[in-house]
Amino acid sequence: MNSMAIEVLTPRYGIAWYPWAVQYFFMIAVSYSALLLTVPGLIFGNKNYQPLAKVALLVTVTCTLVGPVALLADLHQPLRFWHFYANLNTQSWMSIGSLLLPLYLVMVLAYAWLAWRPAMQEQAQEPGWIGKLSGWISMGSWQAPRWMLVLAGLGALAFAFGIMLYTGAEVAILKSRPLWHTNWLPVMFVLTGLVAASGLVVLINRLMTGNDEEINRQGLKVIFVSMALAAIVAALWVSEGITGFSPSVEAAFESLKGNAEWRLVAIYGLAVGIVLTLATIAMLRRPGWMTRAWIAGLLAVHIGWTFRWMVLMEVQTVAKNTAGYYQYAVEAGSSGLLGIVGTFGLWLAALLIIDILVPWKKGLQAGSH
Amino acid sequence: MDKLRRALLGQIAKLTAGAALVPLSSLASAGINAQPPRREGDPSKRYAMLIDLRACIGCQACTVSCHIENEAPLGSFRTIVSQYEVEHEETGDIATFMLPRLCNHCDNPPCVPVCPVEATFQRQDGIVVVDNDVCVGCAYCVQACPYDARFINEHTQTADKCTFCAHRLDVGLLPACVESCVGGARIIGDLNDPDSQISRMMKEHYEDLMVLKPEMGTAPHVFYLGMEERFMSRPQAKPAIWDVRTQEGKEIGYEFDGH
Repeated sequence: MNSMAIEVLTPRYGIAWYPWAVQYFFMIAVSYSALLLTVPGLIFGNKNYQPLAKVALLVTVTCTLVGPVALLADLHQPLRFWHFYANLNTQSWMSIGSLLLPLYLVMVLAYAWLAWRPAMQEQAQEPGWIGKLSGWISMGSWQAPRWMLVLAGLGALAFAFGIMLYTGAEVAILKSRPLWHTNWLPVMFVLTGLVAASGLVVLINRLMTGNDEEINRQGLKVIFVSMALAAIVAALWVSEGITGFSPSVEAAFESLKGNAEWRLVAIYGLAVGIVLTLATIAMLRRPGWMTRAWIAGLLAVHIGWTFRWMVLMEVQTVAKNTAGYYQYAVEAGSSGLLGIVGTFGLWLAALLIIDILVPWKKGLQAGSH
Repeated sequence: MDKLRRALLGQIAKLTAGAALVPLSSLASAGINAQPPRREGDPSKRYAMLIDLRACIGCQACTVSCHIENEAPLGSFRTIVSQYEVEHEETGDIATFMLPRLCNHCDNPPCVPVCPVEATFQRQDGIVVVDNDVCVGCAYCVQACPYDARFINEHTQTADKCTFCAHRLDVGLLPACVESCVGGARIIGDLNDPDSQISRMMKEHYEDLMVLKPEMGTAPHVFYLGMEERFMSRPQAKPAIWDVRTQEGKEIGYEFDGH
């Protein structure tokens, strides 16, 4: 039908998930991805990956601590969080998540505690309040056998896979938003999480551990592989739309066709993705460029965060039932800008407090300054 | 949307509307995101609404009376009449199309299984309600509803939606929107009672009934008579009302901005 229809009257539907959700999805994805980066060094005990594991563990712990705070803040009734446990509905992915998340947090903390404990015990011998505090935190001078660390790590890893599954499924099962309703979305969350986590590791490596070359190389490799896989996944998603019927791809094309802003975002995303991938190749091939790895790290963090912003916030501006798009402007208050900045501020505080208390760098020799 | 797909959707709409006439066995498929058992309400009833669009004049009396009855915050609506200006493809004549929207009290409500605390549930009479004392305000149900029928009430900070005015139905009154409808376009009733007005009308107009977004598989229980297929799903229309512009054509914002 070629006749024109104009929507004259319809209410404006607000945004239901605030930027807090982006912060949670970002923090928790960086957390489980950084945890994966600790596996070769800490669980398998591969010496080549131990410096990487040390930085990645710091990223894991800080993000694991801050993520749930953002999630809690996204509830409109945060003080009712205990209802999750008093009124279990294990048919809901979110409810499953509410069971997984605290267990994941406990396992990550146990893993980090066991990994940092020998250095903490050493620090406990020093005079002053830090020594005293280290003594309390390390809970005695007994030596923890290695199997405890491995077991805690494997436990954290098991829950990490649970978190990957639930955060992805929670969004992807929603038929009501065709753009979310694709099996590729959870995969994309994990891949962009790996990109962001490696980026953050490279960035911290520049700022806190003297730009170790091996960490940069390993981080860039993970970024490259994840970006390549993400490109394949994106291609598969689009080809699913071309060859068969995928409401998700159809909705995406519709938005691109009818909205100049979406077109701009798509072009920007594609461009930044290509630039980052090419930059990692260049840096890995030219040894001199490796010292600038932090730039790629910054870009990787940007991609990981912006992907979540686009998926969670911008998709909410696509009207479900009415014509057009809603305009969303980030508010200044706690449900907007303050929430975003606050989450990063809290993360920075966690990072600095751990840096003061825990000799997490111990045994880390920067390869090149 | 091409013609073929529209025709197909139209067929699905009719089929889905028809499916409500046969006793629907609730989906017993167990597992994650399956429907939890219904509770409360009269198990002998199945409430539904039929909206006769031929009788709707778009006066918004339902919108206003619902707003007053249910004390929704300003700018949030449990029901609203969407209005479209449609130009005839051949003659160029202009007509107005009115589409009252509300919760569809689906037989397979996607908002219910997602609730992490079972605050939102379906009563045995088919009405989908929210227990505001339990709701944590996670807004997952708001995301899951394909009809934008839910919102977070800024006063209670919990999920809010049309309840078919269950508090009125339970004491033998009609919902506010039905009571106030000038043209008598909204008919509510019990589908399990073959003599109810809605049952008789559904039998009579069986072929012409449509539901919104049948492709979502939600089995809506708000049926439309005199519906146009192009408005069943997200309409291919130009959004006009929010284009509040200055004389120079610069967009200056939304009507509800600032609330």
